[in-house]
Amino acid sequence: MKIKWTLLGGILIFLSVLILHPQQEVVISIKEGMPAIPLALPDFIVRSSLPEIITIARELHKIISDDLKYSRVFQLLPKSYYSYIRPLNPEEIFFKDWESIQANILFVGEVPESEGKKFLFEGKIYDVKAGRFIFGKRYQSEKNLLRLVAHKMADEIMKIYGERELFTSKIVFISNRDGNDELYMMDYDGYNQTRVTFNKNQDYMPAWSADGKKIAYTSYRNNRAGLYILNPFEGEITEVVSKGTSFAPTFSPDGKKLAFCSTLEEGNPEIYVATSEGKKIKRLTFNKAIDTAPSWSPTSREIAFTSDRGGTPQIYIMDAEGSNVRRISFGGSYHDAPAWSPAGDRIAYISRVDQIFDIYVLNLRTEQVIKLTESNARNETPSWSPDGRHLVFSSNLTGTIQLYTIDYDGSNLRRLTSNGENKLPDWSR
Amino acid sequence: MKKLIILSLAFLMVFAALSSCRGRAKIEEVTPPPPPEVEEQPKVEPVEKIEEPVTVKEPELTEEEIFMSKTLEEINLEAPLQMIHFDYDKYFIRDDAKPVLEANAEWLKKYDAVVILIEGHCDERGTEEYNLALGEKRAKSTLDYLASLGISAERIKTISYGKSLPLDPGHNEISWQKNRRAQFLIIRK
Repeated sequence: MKIKWTLLGGILIFLSVLILHPQQEVVISIKEGMPAIPLALPDFIVRSSLPEIITIARELHKIISDDLKYSRVFQLLPKSYYSYIRPLNPEEIFFKDWESIQANILFVGEVPESEGKKFLFEGKIYDVKAGRFIFGKRYQSEKNLLRLVAHKMADEIMKIYGERELFTSKIVFISNRDGNDELYMMDYDGYNQTRVTFNKNQDYMPAWSADGKKIAYTSYRNNRAGLYILNPFEGEITEVVSKGTSFAPTFSPDGKKLAFCSTLEEGNPEIYVATSEGKKIKRLTFNKAIDTAPSWSPTSREIAFTSDRGGTPQIYIMDAEGSNVRRISFGGSYHDAPAWSPAGDRIAYISRVDQIFDIYVLNLRTEQVIKLTESNARNETPSWSPDGRHLVFSSNLTGTIQLYTIDYDGSNLRRLTSNGENKLPDWSR
Repeated sequence: MKKLIILSLAFLMVFAALSSCRGRAKIEEVTPPPPPEVEEQPKVEPVEKIEEPVTVKEPELTEEEIFMSKTLEEINLEAPLQMIHFDYDKYFIRDDAKPVLEANAEWLKKYDAVVILIEGHCDERGTEEYNLALGEKRAKSTLDYLASLGISAERIKTISYGKSLPLDPGHNEISWQKNRRAQFLIIRK
């Protein structure tokens, strides 16, 4: 069955590649389980003898190469293959050569001569089989933004293949590295770890807005755990709820709503929904039990959440208006932290068994559950990457709580943080 | 004339005194001179003991007044309200916590202007999200119990810290038991 799908997928890609046209917006949907697309990424061409420019070209190549390898969409050809063919000539590309080493896509990068603080970078993508240019992009930037330029270029390649931007996405999290729990953000690969809040308060459970411009989070101020919306790029903070303890905020993918848990009314943790500005607060759950940890479906029409209304914490789904509640987690006594995948077909969550917390993924279509992490640790707070192929989570695997990413199939575990303790990650959409 | 008589009388007296002195000196030559004859000098009034207080003494403070004189920090440091503990994953008030809450209620009745914050805490063996709600539940059941003892719910606020502020950083049953708690903070008096 798997082989059949793979074959069908291969044919689909093949057909799509056939109808490519440089002027058209090319969108090929890549489904999981399909073989990664073979991509040739020869060394970038340097139009300068300046050692600085040569270094820039090498760094850009390294970052784009790391990005594409991480993607699970592309598969980089081994460098040794390039020695079998004629060296790359950007003025006249011998597509047959590249086809002979099984490249489907050829990426040609060039770093022209430049002076001062700025550098130039040009990337071109060729469809090898069709023997034509698909897409090109030119960047000019300051040298300190080199990583961003490389990530933007890699994201352009993703976009051609119908993927969401991944490499320019940001992970917001809580760290105590500067003394108390504050908000930080970083690139998907752990680079550029930047402090976002500067106060003596304990800040908690941050969540990106759908457009990646705002962060909702809980802050302990004046003996209250209030819910705030921060615009980290403008430095504006607004308070959403002025009563009770409010936490676990999550913006709907359509950008219109903000769901959160609060003890606003009767002192009991219930799920509420508001506009994305935090206005018009409406209660969704009415239950003596705990209702918490909401997570929106990608359509913004349903919400997964945790409730112990059945005696133990379990995962439920309800309609965005609060009706039609149904339980979806079974076979365990402690489930929490649901995270609905961007494609909508899966929900990741934490299951506690004998004091060990592992991440599980429930496939809503097949109702199959896979165990994503296998450890003797506490793995918590999973959050999907925008393309749904990776998850970020916290773990005390090494003794201290740190952030890791892992792929949807349990492979490619990467540690992202090491400074202080780091937890409660949320990956931007 | 009178003056003359007085003067001659005085002379006679001095003479008589001197002659008697001479007589004694002959008998006891080694003895030191006698003390001056104080009897004959005008007497100094005895020291008058002043019993009245010179400065105004502050009246004894009542317990209430002592309480009011302290800052909230000082009162909280004395921790007049004892914390209570919970069972793993649970938020009901245990039997051993009831007398503690009864004592706390008595104290709150005595200081009836005090407003408190009940903090709910959890151990590390729960997830961040559920623990925050569980801490809230623990604070709420503590509030409800105090309310059942006659303390106005208006005087009680609740907050949850989940597992973010453990009392004991250890990773064993003794630490976990200590960390599953509801503790009290006086926020107004």
